Amino acid sequence: MIWNYFLVTASVSTASWGIAALVHKKEWLRNSFVLIGILSMALFIGFLWVQLERPPLRTLGETRLWYAFFLPIIGFITYWRWRYNWMLYYSLILSLLFLLINYMHPENFSKTLMPALQSPWFVPHVVVYMFAYAFLAASSLVAIRGLYLLYKNKLTSKVMLMADNLVYLGFAFLTLGLLFGALWAKEAWGHYWTWDPKETWAFITWMGYLIYIHFRYQQASKLKASLWILALAFVVLLVCWFGVNYLPSAQFSVHTYSQAP
Amino acid sequence: MKKTTKSLWVSPWGYAESFLISFGLILIGFLLEFTMPNRIPLRIIYPLNLVLGIGFVILIGLFYIFLRKGQLFKFLSGIPASIGALTALTLLVMLMGISPQVPMVEKNIITAFKLNNLTSSWPFLFINLYFLLILGLVILRKLIKFKKHNWGFICSHLGLWIIIFAVGLGAGDLQRLRMDLHENKTEWKAYDDKDNYYEMPLAIRLNHFQIDEFHPKLAVVENSSGKLYEASKPSMIMIEKDLQCKLHRWTVKVDEFYASSGRSGDQYYHLFDYGAAPAAFVNVLTPASDTISGWISCGSFNRPHESLKLDKDYSLLMTVPEPRKFSSEVTIYLPDGSKSNQTLEVNKSYTVNGWKIYQLSYDEKMGKYSDLSIVEVVKDPWQIFVYIGVFLMMIGSVYMFWQGNKLKNRKIMANI
Repeated sequence: MIWNYFLVTASVSTASWGIAALVHKKEWLRNSFVLIGILSMALFIGFLWVQLERPPLRTLGETRLWYAFFLPIIGFITYWRWRYNWMLYYSLILSLLFLLINYMHPENFSKTLMPALQSPWFVPHVVVYMFAYAFLAASSLVAIRGLYLLYKNKLTSKVMLMADNLVYLGFAFLTLGLLFGALWAKEAWGHYWTWDPKETWAFITWMGYLIYIHFRYQQASKLKASLWILALAFVVLLVCWFGVNYLPSAQFSVHTYSQAP
Repeated sequence: MKKTTKSLWVSPWGYAESFLISFGLILIGFLLEFTMPNRIPLRIIYPLNLVLGIGFVILIGLFYIFLRKGQLFKFLSGIPASIGALTALTLLVMLMGISPQVPMVEKNIITAFKLNNLTSSWPFLFINLYFLLILGLVILRKLIKFKKHNWGFICSHLGLWIIIFAVGLGAGDLQRLRMDLHENKTEWKAYDDKDNYYEMPLAIRLNHFQIDEFHPKLAVVENSSGKLYEASKPSMIMIEKDLQCKLHRWTVKVDEFYASSGRSGDQYYHLFDYGAAPAAFVNVLTPASDTISGWISCGSFNRPHESLKLDKDYSLLMTVPEPRKFSSEVTIYLPDGSKSNQTLEVNKSYTVNGWKIYQLSYDEKMGKYSDLSIVEVVKDPWQIFVYIGVFLMMIGSVYMFWQGNKLKNRKIMANI
């Protein structure tokens, strides 16, 4: 029965967001459809909560449901505050992706999740990081474009201000992700921070953007140096995201979820 | 901006001096590490850490009171100094991110400079103290000349300062001990990582230890080495009754699966028993269209495991099930005679008398038949201050999200 309701919910959300994308010229109409999609998800989570008689936070499938719910909310708040349409659509697409995974793998409502990951902190920690990475990736694209424009002598302050704003928003999410992770670690293991390789690189990433922000604040006229710092910070972010597993220090990480037989 | 041709160490100091100071501190730290090896680990505990902490704060205050008009204050609370310290700290942490942080016995270049344990090295201490000084002066400057729109700035900077300060000073007071709880026994002793025993101001009786397990998985191993064969992904598939799947080049069908079973004769039967293990009857279709069938079981501490030979090089086996959840039902006794019944679980700790009790581990060889539950007990009196810092930084982050670079826009506009 739960499954049928899930199908209804997923269809309502998909349809209303599809319509939202079609009517994107009428802003209030588009926004209403986005909100209807979010509301249908909220109703389903509430229903699931009552049916299961526990917060639906136990399995991977349930976790993905929360992703699918929170992503468009944060996307909408971000859009509402900063008018980044692409961020709204990015969040909707990610959300639909999670619904699709749940649709394709119904059995995943019971698949392995190590006990340490079964925590209410899991969802906020990861959702917030997804946003941070999206903003920071976007800021790097702007940085690369900025370097090209600089080379062509066409760089305007508008481009730099856009890069700055993206970094500020991304950095705010990055900080929250880091802090959520620390609070979670304290709750689960008794330490905030263990200098696990992934944590170490997350910290380096955080510092990289911190340097950019401070440098821009003081040396607003040194565009080339700023843009290079921004591009380099993104390289560090990629190391943190994918590269960590290939470093000599990674064999001791709790963030590589590979399992031995 | 015009390029200045100022000599070094002529005020006002800028980026060159900032980087020289920061990297100089790191260099001095490494030299100290190299020339004074084998030192006893420094552990500053209460009340010395509190005295040192207050001393440091007073020092920053005095610095502000007497030197705030000087060039040194201007430099230390300025952005070039911050960027120098940030960069130096970042590069030091990068070293930490590349070199594995594990204890090493042999003497080599890595241990000589403590590159395997950087967080308790001199350079790390020096750069953090310098960082705290700079950050402290910056906060003081903004705090004393408070302007309304600076509250977000103060939240994030003060939060960070409090976190580093409290974590650093509190490290010596943090006690992290373990207790081995055996079923139906009461324990009041805890031990540290050097096996020193401590008597606790509480006692814990383990009433029941419970593990829920996931189903085991199918995997193929090499006969010669016993290593997992990973020619294609997924290399492990969770077993369900009537599962049919493709594992590398073999098609596997699970005809029967018992989560708990025992062998009798040439067959497994569903049964609950001390040491009963999962078992499955599988049919395998080989690439040559032969069918191989038989029982596989991962075994347990008192049952043998059984695999199915696929050919002379490979065998199909069942992995040991992973825990889904493990928990301890305990009774906690306090010196005042009170007691309470609790369930300890990973991610669900319990706080009593200033100690936080975490479910940590169990006897992994015994798996779900373990009657040993290992819990970690942590006392961290400085935790509340760290949480205050974290909370301030969170407010600062939300402020940052809301404001974006608006403030800076205003500043740039004002400069034009």
